[in-house]
Amino acid sequence: MSPMPQRSAQLSVPSNLYTAILAVALGAVVATAAFVAFQCYSQYGTIFGMPQ
Amino acid sequence: MSTLTKVLIVLLTVFSIFLCGIVVTYVANADNQKKIAQDATRDLRAARTAREAAQNDLAAAKEQADQMRRDLEAQMNQLTVTITDLQAKLESVQRENTQMSQRVRDMGASVQQANELQASQMQQAQAAQEQVATLEAERTRLEKELAETDQTLMEKMAIVAQLEERVKQLIEANQELETRVNQYLRPSGLTTAAPVTVTQRTGIAVPAAPPVARDIGLNARIAAVDIKNALAELSIGSAAGVRPDMRFHVTRDQQFVCDIRILDVGPDQSVGILEKIQVAPRVGDVAATNL
Repeated sequence: MSPMPQRSAQLSVPSNLYTAILAVALGAVVATAAFVAFQCYSQYGTIFGMPQ
Repeated sequence: MSTLTKVLIVLLTVFSIFLCGIVVTYVANADNQKKIAQDATRDLRAARTAREAAQNDLAAAKEQADQMRRDLEAQMNQLTVTITDLQAKLESVQRENTQMSQRVRDMGASVQQANELQASQMQQAQAAQEQVATLEAERTRLEKELAETDQTLMEKMAIVAQLEERVKQLIEANQELETRVNQYLRPSGLTTAAPVTVTQRTGIAVPAAPPVARDIGLNARIAAVDIKNALAELSIGSAAGVRPDMRFHVTRDQQFVCDIRILDVGPDQSVGILEKIQVAPRVGDVAATNL
């Protein structure tokens, strides 16, 4: 995403909007994963193993 | 950044958020399978325990039922024996009842016969009483006739005594006349002849000898005394050998009281006149023919 100096006339202002959108998406995924892990641990006592 | 990249970013974000929401929703609403399994295991264990307890109870109940069945069978056997005994006793009692009924009927017949016999005996007793009354009346009449006859006999005996006295006087007069005639006829050597009487002589009547009481030895007691008429009643009569004109000597404690000459004799008593009275006789004094 580096600016292109050759065509300065056509330069556009870099926007971080999509980065924020990606950050939001990443946060949602992380939060979901954390919630699922918490639920698994609280209910079965393990996250990845088979409950005894 | 190309448009396609942007679109992809947006789509990725949207789908990520959507997928995360679905996952969160599912996980939040999902059941706790471990808890469910633990509950099921605990329920299963409790159910097994309950089953074992129920089996034990069932076995105990079966044992108790068997015991009760055996007890009931024993009681039934005892009751059967008792019923048999009672039936035997009932039959015995029924037989006894029949026998007693028969005996009661027999006794009823006997009682009826006894009643009939009693009625017959009552009739016979009444007839006998009537006969006794008739005989009593006849005896009274005969006693009356006997008393009259005795009275007549006494009168005739008195007449006989007077006649005998008269005969004796006539005999003495005759003897005196005969003596005088013999005295007149003796100088001339004649004697008187025996007069010829119309009535043929049969000899001089000899009075009956008085009863000899001394040899009998009778003992009696004075039963009644009538001082006014000088009469006494003795406790013995003709059954003991008492006869009229017997003489009893009455004593009291070695003391002479009087004599009793018997006038009238009954079967078991006799009446006499008091003679030679020294002391007034009393009831109970001893009278004997021999002192």
